[in-house]
Amino acid sequence: MKINWFSPLPPARTDIAHYTTRVLPALTELAEVTLWTDQSDWDQSLTKQVAVRSYRLGKIPWVELNRADANFYNIGNNPLFHSSIWQISRLHAGIVVLHDLRLHHFFDDIFRVNWRDLDSYLAVMESYYGEAGRLDASECFHGNARNIDHMAEHYPLTQLAVEHQLGVVVHTGEAFDILSRDQDCPLLLAPLPFNAKRNIEASLSKAGGPPYRLIAFGYIGKSRRLLSVLKALADMPERSEFQLDVYGDILDDEDQLRSQIRALDLKQQVHLHGFASEKKLDEALGQAHLSINLRYPTMGEASGSQLRIWSHGLPSLVSQVGWYSSLPAETVAFVRTDENEIGDIQLHLRALLKEPKRFEEMGRLGRRVLEAEHAPARYVQAILELAKQSQARRPQVTMNRLADRTGVMLSEWANSRTAVEAVENVAKEIFELGRVG
Amino acid sequence: MRILIATVHVPFIRGGAEVHAEGLRDALRAAGHEVEIIAVPFKWYPAERIIDHMLACRLLDVTEVMGTPVDLLIGLRFPAYLIPHPNKVLWILHQFRTAYELWDHQLGDLIYSPNGAEVRDAIRHADRHFIGQTKVVYANSANVAARLKFFCDINASPLYHPPPHADKFHTAEAEDYFFFPSRLCLPKRQSLVLEALANTKKPVRVRFAGAADQPAYQSELKTLARKLRVHDRVEWLGSIDEEKKRDLYARCLGVIYPPIDEDYGYVTLEAMLASKPLVVCTDSGGPLEFVRDEETGLISEPEAAKLARAFDRLWQDRNAAKKMGAAGNALYREMNITWDNVVRKLLA
Repeated sequence: MKINWFSPLPPARTDIAHYTTRVLPALTELAEVTLWTDQSDWDQSLTKQVAVRSYRLGKIPWVELNRADANFYNIGNNPLFHSSIWQISRLHAGIVVLHDLRLHHFFDDIFRVNWRDLDSYLAVMESYYGEAGRLDASECFHGNARNIDHMAEHYPLTQLAVEHQLGVVVHTGEAFDILSRDQDCPLLLAPLPFNAKRNIEASLSKAGGPPYRLIAFGYIGKSRRLLSVLKALADMPERSEFQLDVYGDILDDEDQLRSQIRALDLKQQVHLHGFASEKKLDEALGQAHLSINLRYPTMGEASGSQLRIWSHGLPSLVSQVGWYSSLPAETVAFVRTDENEIGDIQLHLRALLKEPKRFEEMGRLGRRVLEAEHAPARYVQAILELAKQSQARRPQVTMNRLADRTGVMLSEWANSRTAVEAVENVAKEIFELGRVG
Repeated sequence: MRILIATVHVPFIRGGAEVHAEGLRDALRAAGHEVEIIAVPFKWYPAERIIDHMLACRLLDVTEVMGTPVDLLIGLRFPAYLIPHPNKVLWILHQFRTAYELWDHQLGDLIYSPNGAEVRDAIRHADRHFIGQTKVVYANSANVAARLKFFCDINASPLYHPPPHADKFHTAEAEDYFFFPSRLCLPKRQSLVLEALANTKKPVRVRFAGAADQPAYQSELKTLARKLRVHDRVEWLGSIDEEKKRDLYARCLGVIYPPIDEDYGYVTLEAMLASKPLVVCTDSGGPLEFVRDEETGLISEPEAAKLARAFDRLWQDRNAAKKMGAAGNALYREMNITWDNVVRKLLA
């Protein structure tokens, strides 16, 4: 099977790039793979495993896409990494691997910010959510109107990424449930793949403690709840029993974060390391006792970071929302959101001091879930099977696009009896043209 | 009977398909029927236009005209053969070739469209569905029938028809030239013939007749002829009238016809009617149904050096050429390629 795989590639700072490197060995076992990238710089070691093709929008060699048995489009919430991929997917149907469920930020950035095309953004909102959607969208950017997080929650715009595709892969039960309500194309729920590290020791027994080493890593924005963690620590008399290491870029105001740390008198406990190489991060995870992997609000994504944490056999605190809330209770410690957040963090940290063995077991069980459900080979088998089945869907996709085109044309005859009859005739014939069997 | 012939027409372009439809109309009228051609204008780019045209054809209602039923619809070309009718017979000239055998081919263009694969599969799907629903399916040639079977698992019988004015072809003593009448375009492979000429040992001459689909292509061919130093052995006659064409057939030594996978090819039949041997290629498609190697012509690999050997052979051995031409003419007569036969089968 010949497949094209569109994805950010390392060293792009997104877990989706790492995800691609994680699935690649299993993928190349079963298919002839070409990676496609619009990055100017990518990890050249990938070329030892597969062909890597560089592309530019506007100069896509469509013949290569048409020759493939399947084209996979990895779509996440960051336009920097996924805007081109999404645009290609709109022109050539394939399998969308959906890494985020709520894509409003993504499309808002593309339409309104990058293209400065408010009209198209509003038209899209109206198309999916009617007049109310359009109104909310237009108010969203006026004065004290609704903010973008509200928009993402209520108007996820997921359909814009998956409509007219041959198949969709999601990694969370939430995404599967929501999309299966109004998705007519094959939909696959496949747990995010991750290769468990070969040899680990249970984190607590190998390093000892207290003080216990806490670790938070990734792109540290507001949704990572670092401020809540700091406040929780600051209010605890046992704070000296913990050391918190933070790895990754601080997306918001780093100076402000540092002054908060000083103001809360946590300089001895909290260390900001900035971006770290994969190797260094693995070393840090190997030395940690507990990972803090909070995410609120969540865009509905499965967390590659969580799988990495489990891979190290680490226990973790996670927000009790979205995908995280679906994790087995014995594998993570849940932190409720809003007013309970700080209290829950403190509760778990105290529990760690009292019952380290329970947390050790939590990490071990998490690792077991990882090994049982997230094996890349199983994942790859499932998505390739979907790709095979979905090829038969191309005529329906073509007819859906035809229905869109004729719908626009017929809407110009709106409100006339003739238009209704025309729509019925057209709909019947489009159905016949695309009918299977 | 009131009969409609459904075909498509690319405005300002006239070729074998138009001649075919008119021939059928005239034959049906001669048999006493009331007949019209309905030609749907066709444009195939961007690729989604093809789908639009398919829908347009499906939305046409030609079951009756002013209260009087249309008794029969004969569908010839995609997507006009998708037009619905309760009594429909298909006589398929060819399917939409770039969705089939020309998909990943030097002559294919659909594969270069962003949505090429989607449109290809939609065409194939519709063909399987709607051709499959039709009770009687004929193909223009065994070659077209074989493609229908291979790609769509549809059984079709080949039904041959004569070229226009078949009764007016005649023969004469061979003169020192081969004749190659065809539109100047890539699928007909005039360039291969020029390359072959550069490889002949004899002073073989070729007269090309036919207009270029694109003016630039004619210039390219002329430039190639100069580059190969064969320009003084070729003539570019351009578009010629039918009488002149028949005269050139009659006086030529043989007819060259090496297209890529032709559906049918009037040239083959016209050469046979003029009692001239043919030189065709192993991948020429339809012509291979009529040319018997070493009996009615020569079948060569589509390579310049091999084609050159075939030219030299006929150039040198005029007796053999004459015999092959006569055998071709006899074969044509045996095959019952007549409009009467076509009308009888389509109306059966």
